[in-house]
Amino acid sequence: MVERYVAAKTVEEALEALSGGDATVVAGGTDVMPQSQAGRLKLGRTLVNIRRVAALSGLALTGDEINIGPLTTVADLNEHDLIRQHLPVLADAADKFASPQIRNMGTIGGNVCNASPAGDLLVPLLLLNAEVELRSSNGRRRMKLQDFFAGPGKSHKKPGELLTAILAPLPKAGFTARFEKFGTRPALDISTVSVGIAGVMAYGGLQEVRVAFGAVAPTPMRGPATEHALEGKKLDDAAIEAAAQAAMQEVKPISDVRATDWYRRELVHNLVRKVLQDVARG
Amino acid sequence: MSLAVEIAFKLNGSPVRVSIPATMTALSMLRDQLNVTGTKYGCGEGECGACTILVDGLSVNSCLMFAVECDGRELTTVEGVAANPVNDRLRDALVEHGGVQCGFCTPGMVVQSKWLLDKHPHPDRHQVERGLEGNLCRCTGYKKIVDAVCGAGGSNE
Amino acid sequence: MAVIAKDSLIGRRIPKMDAPEKTAGKTRYVQDMKLPGQLVGMILRTDRVHARIKRIDTSRAQALPGVHAVLTAADIPQKPIGVNKDNPPLKGDKVRCIRDEIAAVAAESEEIAKAALKLIEVEYEDLPGLFDPTQAMQPGAPVIQEAKPNNIAMVFDYAHGDVGAGEAESDVVVEDEFYLHYVTHCCMGVSGVIADFEPTSGNLTIYSNTQVPFLHKREFSEVLGMDPGRIRIIQPPIGGGFGSKLDIYPFEPIAVYLAKATRRPVKLVFSREEEFIASPTRQPAIVKLRSGCKKDGTLTFRTVDILLDNGGYTSWGATIPFVMMQTFSSLYRVPHCLYHTKAVYTNNPYAGSFRGYGNLQATFAVEQQIDKMAEAIGMDNLAFRLKNAQAPGEVTGQGMVFKSCGFKECLTTAAERSGYVQKFSANAANRSKPSARKRGIGMASMLHVGGGAKIYPSDGCGTILKLDDFAHVTLITGASEIGQGSETVLSQLVCEELGLPMSAVTVVNNDTEITPWDVGVHASRTTFIAGNSAIGAARKAKEKILALASKVANLTPEQLDMRGGCIVRAEDGEVVMPLPKLLRSLHFSDKAELVMTTNYYEPPSVHQGKDFKGDVSATYAWATQVCEVEVDTDTGIVKLLKVTAAHDVGRVLNRLGLEGQIEGGIVMGQGYALSEDMVFKQGKLLNPAFRDYKLMTAPEVPEMDISFIESMDGEGPQGAKGVGEAPAICMAAAIANAIYNATGVRMTNLPFTPENVYRALKGAS
Repeated sequence: MVERYVAAKTVEEALEALSGGDATVVAGGTDVMPQSQAGRLKLGRTLVNIRRVAALSGLALTGDEINIGPLTTVADLNEHDLIRQHLPVLADAADKFASPQIRNMGTIGGNVCNASPAGDLLVPLLLLNAEVELRSSNGRRRMKLQDFFAGPGKSHKKPGELLTAILAPLPKAGFTARFEKFGTRPALDISTVSVGIAGVMAYGGLQEVRVAFGAVAPTPMRGPATEHALEGKKLDDAAIEAAAQAAMQEVKPISDVRATDWYRRELVHNLVRKVLQDVARG
Repeated sequence: MSLAVEIAFKLNGSPVRVSIPATMTALSMLRDQLNVTGTKYGCGEGECGACTILVDGLSVNSCLMFAVECDGRELTTVEGVAANPVNDRLRDALVEHGGVQCGFCTPGMVVQSKWLLDKHPHPDRHQVERGLEGNLCRCTGYKKIVDAVCGAGGSNE
Repeated sequence: MAVIAKDSLIGRRIPKMDAPEKTAGKTRYVQDMKLPGQLVGMILRTDRVHARIKRIDTSRAQALPGVHAVLTAADIPQKPIGVNKDNPPLKGDKVRCIRDEIAAVAAESEEIAKAALKLIEVEYEDLPGLFDPTQAMQPGAPVIQEAKPNNIAMVFDYAHGDVGAGEAESDVVVEDEFYLHYVTHCCMGVSGVIADFEPTSGNLTIYSNTQVPFLHKREFSEVLGMDPGRIRIIQPPIGGGFGSKLDIYPFEPIAVYLAKATRRPVKLVFSREEEFIASPTRQPAIVKLRSGCKKDGTLTFRTVDILLDNGGYTSWGATIPFVMMQTFSSLYRVPHCLYHTKAVYTNNPYAGSFRGYGNLQATFAVEQQIDKMAEAIGMDNLAFRLKNAQAPGEVTGQGMVFKSCGFKECLTTAAERSGYVQKFSANAANRSKPSARKRGIGMASMLHVGGGAKIYPSDGCGTILKLDDFAHVTLITGASEIGQGSETVLSQLVCEELGLPMSAVTVVNNDTEITPWDVGVHASRTTFIAGNSAIGAARKAKEKILALASKVANLTPEQLDMRGGCIVRAEDGEVVMPLPKLLRSLHFSDKAELVMTTNYYEPPSVHQGKDFKGDVSATYAWATQVCEVEVDTDTGIVKLLKVTAAHDVGRVLNRLGLEGQIEGGIVMGQGYALSEDMVFKQGKLLNPAFRDYKLMTAPEVPEMDISFIESMDGEGPQGAKGVGEAPAICMAAAIANAIYNATGVRMTNLPFTPENVYRALKGAS
C-alpha cells in the first residue's frame, strides 16, 4: 500500500525519500507498472518518481568515458549522436527493444535496475565494460555492471541507493561489437537468447575479447570460456566452431514457455557462429 | 485504497486538475475517472498499443504510465488528434485505404501514426511498419493501415 | 432536361461507413459504456483443473463495504448452457477446467470487486486430471462429466462409396497423423457485457458483444426461465468477433444474475489475462488420414479418423467435424470416403467456433497429402490438383451441388502469378546446397460454404427498408456488424438497386427490439444471405416507387429506372423527377403513403440428414493460396515472404472491404501456422499474455498478391459469394508444403514455431 508519493526534483530529494526504507523507485514505469498490476512486484510504502530529476538525464562525454544519465530513454539511446558514434552496439540493441512507445518511455536506468536476464541493453553494456554509479545518503560508489546483478530481478543495489549514472569507457580504436538477439521480428520480443561479441580486430582475429549472453542464465552473463577460446585466434572455421562450442557449454539456460534449455544452447551455438562469421568477413 | 494525489495537466489542450490514487494507470485515469474513452484497454501490459497517447508529443502506452506522472504534462488522446483538422489527412487516409475494420485498435493506431508522421513526415514503408510494430490489429492484416500512413505521408511505398 | 448515365457501385472501393467515427475515438464499445448506477461484476475462477468443491465461504466478501452481491452456484438456478447443455454458469459440485466460474461479485468499483474475490474461501478435494484425449477413452479413465461416463461428448460419422474398393484400386496409399494446436481469437476488445434488469417491469436489457443476437435471446430465456419477449439484446460496436461470440458463455448469465440480485446494472468485462484463460479457443485436433490414388493421379479413397479434445464442457468446437467432412469428402473428387470423429472430455479448456470452423484443420491434412501423393507418383502437384479438382455442375458424394465453381481458375491463377511450378522445382533442387537459408514454395486450396449453412431451422435474414421524404434510406437488418463491413456492403447493394449514393443510407443493425430476425454472423453468410434479403427489400421499394412514377411520367415502370437520386427514363437516362419529390408527392397526397418494405430471405439450401448428405449451402467459395517462405536452418525461423492468393468470390462487390477480409485472414492464418500457440501444462495456460502469445505485427506481414475469380453465382447477391472465413483456411497447409519444398522435412504438427521447426530439421525428439 502506497502511503507517500514523492515527485523528486533533485537527487537529494530522491535519496531522502529512499532513506526511509520500503520505497519503490519509478522512472518510465514500463516495468514497475505492469509488474505491480499483475502482483509480481509489491510496491513499497513510498513511491519515488525520479522522472523530474534533471541531474539524472542527459548524455555526456567526460574525459575518456561516456556518462549516460539513467533517465535516458531507449529511444534517445537509439538516436543520440554520441551513442551512434562511439557505442553503436548500444544503439543497435535499443533499436531492437520492445516497441516505439516503450522505447519512448523506458529508461536505461530502469532496464539496468530491473535486472532481467533478458534485459536487451544489458548484453551490449557488458560488452562495453560499463560501470554503474550508485548514490545513497552515505555517499557514492562505482561498480562494474557485471558485478551488479544478483539474480533474476535482483541486483546488489542497496535499498537506500539510487542508480545515478551508467558509465561506458570510450572503446579503443579498432574495437568492434555485435549484438544478436534471437527473434522472429525486428523488436517486440522478449529475448529467448541474445549474444554479444566484442573485441579489437587485429591479425584476422579478436583481441581483448568480450562475450556476453542474455536470457541463458539467472543474470546477463559474460562468457569467459568463449572469450578465452577466441582471444587472439585467427577467425577461421575451426576457431569459430570452438568458440561456439565453448559458448553453448558455458551458458546455463532453463526451459520455460519461450524455449527449452536444449534449444537455447543450440541457438547460442549458432548465433555465436553467425556473429563470428560476420565479424570475420569484416 | 491507495494514497490519493492531486495533479494538474493539459488534456487535449484544456487544463485538468484531478485527484487520483498514486498507483493508478494513466489509462485508467482517462477512461474511468475522466470518462475519456477513445483510448482503449487492450492488454494492460504495453504489448498491444490500443492505449497509445501522446505525452509532451511522445507516444507512450498509457497502461504502463503512472497517472501521477502526468502532472504538469500535455496529454493528447485520439480525441485530441481528431479535434485538430491538421490530422484529417491521416484520418481520411485510414478510412479511404480501408485501415479500419472493428476499429478497436484504431485509436491507438491513429495516435501512434500521428507521432510517427510528426517524427518522419514522409516515412518509407519500412519506417511505418517499424513505427507501428507496437500496435496489434487482429482484423486488417496491417497492410491497409501501413498503406494509409504511407499515403498520409505522401508516399505510396 | 438533365441526363444521368447508368452507373454502378459494384466492384468499387467503398470505405467502411463507420470508419470516420472510429478514427476519432467516438465509437462507444461495451467497454466504454457506463449506465447510471452501474456496478462492476467480476468472476472468481478456480485454480484447479479437476476437483470437487467441498465448501465455499463468501461471508467475508459479503461483508466488505461496497460489495452488493456475492453469488455461488447455490444462489442461482442450475440451468447448464452450451451445445451439450453441460456447462452450469456457476459450478457447484466440481470444477473441470481452469476457466471454471465458482463465484461472482458485484461491487462499487473494480478495486473492491477484486478485493472481494480474494476474501472468498474455497475448499477442494482434487480429482485425477485428464489432459490427453487419447487417454480419455481408455477404460478406467477419470470421468469428467457424469452424464457421459465414457467421456465421449460428440460423434460425427460419415461415409460415401466403399473405401475398401477404393483402396484395392490404388497404386499409392499415404497415411499420416496430423496434430493441430490450441490458438485463440485475441479480439482486441476483450469480452464484456452489461446486464440491466428492472424487476418491477420484468424487462432485461443486455448490452452484448454476441454475434448471434436472436439465438442469444432464446438461450437467455431458457437459462433464466424468462419470457423471451422481456429480453432485449443491444449490440454496441464490437471489438472483433471471428466466431468467438457465437455461443452463450457463463459470464453472460452471471452478469444477469448479479443484476437481478442487486437491482442495478452490472458491467462485467474481462482482463486480457482472463480473456486468454476463459474465452474460447480454436478446436485442437488429431487427424489420422489415409488417402490413395492411381498412377495417373486419380484419387481413389480417403479414410479419416479424428480425435478432438473437447475440454471440460461442450461449445461449438466439438461440432467442427460437420465442416471438416466437407473438405475431406468434396474439395476434390473422391469416389470413396469414410470419416469418423470423436470429441472427448478432458480437463483442458474448451473450444468454440473460430473463423474457418475446422476447415483450417481439415485442409492442413488434405493438402499435405495431395503433395505427398503427387510426389509418390512423380506428378507435378499442380497437375495432380487440377486433375481431381471440382468443376461446375459437380454433385459430390456428400450431395453438395457446385453450381458455380472457380476452383480450377483459382489453381491456375495462383500458380501462374506466383511462378509456382518453376519455383517448386528450383527450390527442391537447391535443398542440398550448403546455405543456411532455404527457400520454399507451397500451395493449398480450399472449399468452404459461401452461401450460408443450413444448421438451424432457418438460415434466413430479415430486412426492413424505410425511405424518408428526402430519399434518405434507413436499412434495418438482422445481420450483425462485427467489423467485417456488412453495413457497408448491404448499403451498397441497396443503393445499387435504388440508384442512390452511399451517403443516402443509415444502417440499424444492433437491437433485437428493432431489427428483424437473423440467425447470426457466422459461416461466411452475411453478404450472401443478408445481402439477398436487402436486395429483395430494395426491389420491393423500387417497384412501388416506379409504379407511382409511371403514372406521373406516363411511361410503364419497365421504361423507368432510378439513378443518381432521380427517376429517369431507362433508355436514355433523362430525368423524370427527383426521387425526394416523388416520395413527398406520395406521402402528402390523398394516398398518404410512405415507402417502407420488408423482406425475409431464406437461401435455397437444405438440411442434411443423419447421414450428413445434402446441399447445405446455397453456394460454395473456393480459393488457392501459394506461400513462399525462407527457412533459417540455424534457428528454425520460417519467414513468410509472399502469399499469392486467388479466391472465387462469385463477384467483387466492395473491393476495398473484400481485400480487407482476405488480407486480414491471410495474416490470421500466418499467425496460426507460425507463431500463435497456447501452451498448456496439466490444463493450465502458461502464456496468457501477448508477451508470449505472439500475434503477427506490422513488420511481419508478407507481400500479398490477391486475385479475384468472378464465377458470378446465380443465387448470390449481384453474383457474389461469402468469403469471410476463406482466407485463413489454406495458410498453414500451404506453409507446411513450402517448408517441405525448402527443406525436405514434412511438418505434420502445428505450430511451426522456430523451436518446433528447428527440432524437426535436426530430427531430434
